[in-house]
Amino acid sequence: MTVQSYYLPRSLAEATALLAEHGPSLLVMAGGTVVMPLINEGVSTPEKVMGLRRAGLSYLRREDGALVIGATTPLTRLLEPDVFPLLREAARHTATWSIRNMGTVGGNLFVPPPAGDLAVALLALDAQVRIVRAGGERTVPLSGFWTGFMQTVLAADELVAEIRVPEPAGRVAFRKFGRKQANTPAIVTLAVHLRMVGDRVADARLALGAVGPHPLRARQAEAALVGRPLDADTVAAVSELAAAECEPFTDAIASDWYRRRMVKVQLARLLTAMATEV
Amino acid sequence: MPATIVRFILNGRPTEVMVRPMMTLQTVLREVLGYTATKAGCKQGGCGSCTVLVNGEPMVSCLLPVEDVADQEVTTLEGLTPVEGLHPLQQAFFENFATQCGYCTPGMIMVAKALLDHNPHPDRQTIIEALAGNYCRCTGYEPIIRAVEDAARRLNGGRP
Repeated sequence: MTVQSYYLPRSLAEATALLAEHGPSLLVMAGGTVVMPLINEGVSTPEKVMGLRRAGLSYLRREDGALVIGATTPLTRLLEPDVFPLLREAARHTATWSIRNMGTVGGNLFVPPPAGDLAVALLALDAQVRIVRAGGERTVPLSGFWTGFMQTVLAADELVAEIRVPEPAGRVAFRKFGRKQANTPAIVTLAVHLRMVGDRVADARLALGAVGPHPLRARQAEAALVGRPLDADTVAAVSELAAAECEPFTDAIASDWYRRRMVKVQLARLLTAMATEV
Repeated sequence: MPATIVRFILNGRPTEVMVRPMMTLQTVLREVLGYTATKAGCKQGGCGSCTVLVNGEPMVSCLLPVEDVADQEVTTLEGLTPVEGLHPLQQAFFENFATQCGYCTPGMIMVAKALLDHNPHPDRQTIIEALAGNYCRCTGYEPIIRAVEDAARRLNGGRP
């Protein structure tokens, strides 16, 4: 079976109307970097596909300090100078130039691990996901968006329309650890946001990618950071906790054992580097 | 199966094709229009051999339904090649032994073209990062990096 119908809606309203009409039989695609390989390979054989490239969802703007990103904004646009440095860094380490020109910010939320590096940075920045359907919308925190491997809270008639990223209010850091310097699947991707009061951590968000069914917050490690200074003992304890609570898997890139080990090592290095920031 | 007509600008020339839904730009170029400089490698977006420029930006044509480039400008290696002789990038690839089997070369040159359009004076690291999505299993990459540096010099009138 080959594709019988390809819809290219010209607006969000048109897109949600198509989704309401066709329901789950309509495969939604944005940049095509996830869906097209599956179609080319014959793994996915949809009859009806909706492409979002013309749906008017490619935009980037600042609103009261927050960064508001249209769901189909290409990853390349996150390299622009007015984007938060953590997101620029994450975008630079996501895929390659051509793929960044095609892959989208919203689409990155649907990429199976170990890919999806940008989503890890969005999670550390507590991004909010605006979800729209014909006749309604809701906003959910990205931390509550995923429900399992390639599973989300999206209903069959809903689309991710926009991602809102609050302005970082503390120290941030990003690290993607892979087998090569560029164009590499992650062994682990880490993104951290720490709000300090004096020399103590007041609030911590530790986001981990490629070590679970979707990007994860290391909640136990976060709790252990709060109220503590970023000293060597804290860093060691927190990194140990994060390594224990993540859910790594084995693939062609790395074993689950190695991924867990690298969570501990890389998080410790990242937090140690953050401790010396003023 | 319904066919649709898609119009786009190919190498400066208005072009019209009749396609089945979601035919890729790669298939349209190679099999419908006979523009075979654009290669068909992995069809997964992983090798870069099918890279073309869409409105001047590199994209992998294997992941692009041709409907998505309707009314857009597509440039392939054929569009770079002058009627007589070679484009400075082609000349630099030739003189620096940056081709062996040649399969990756069109994709490499299209990315290099976009890079030099954006940044006429890229340093070595910038060239390496730009080409990170293009695989070459022959050259070991060094001659390709040298060719891009050389082409930048040629296009800048001899200055690095």
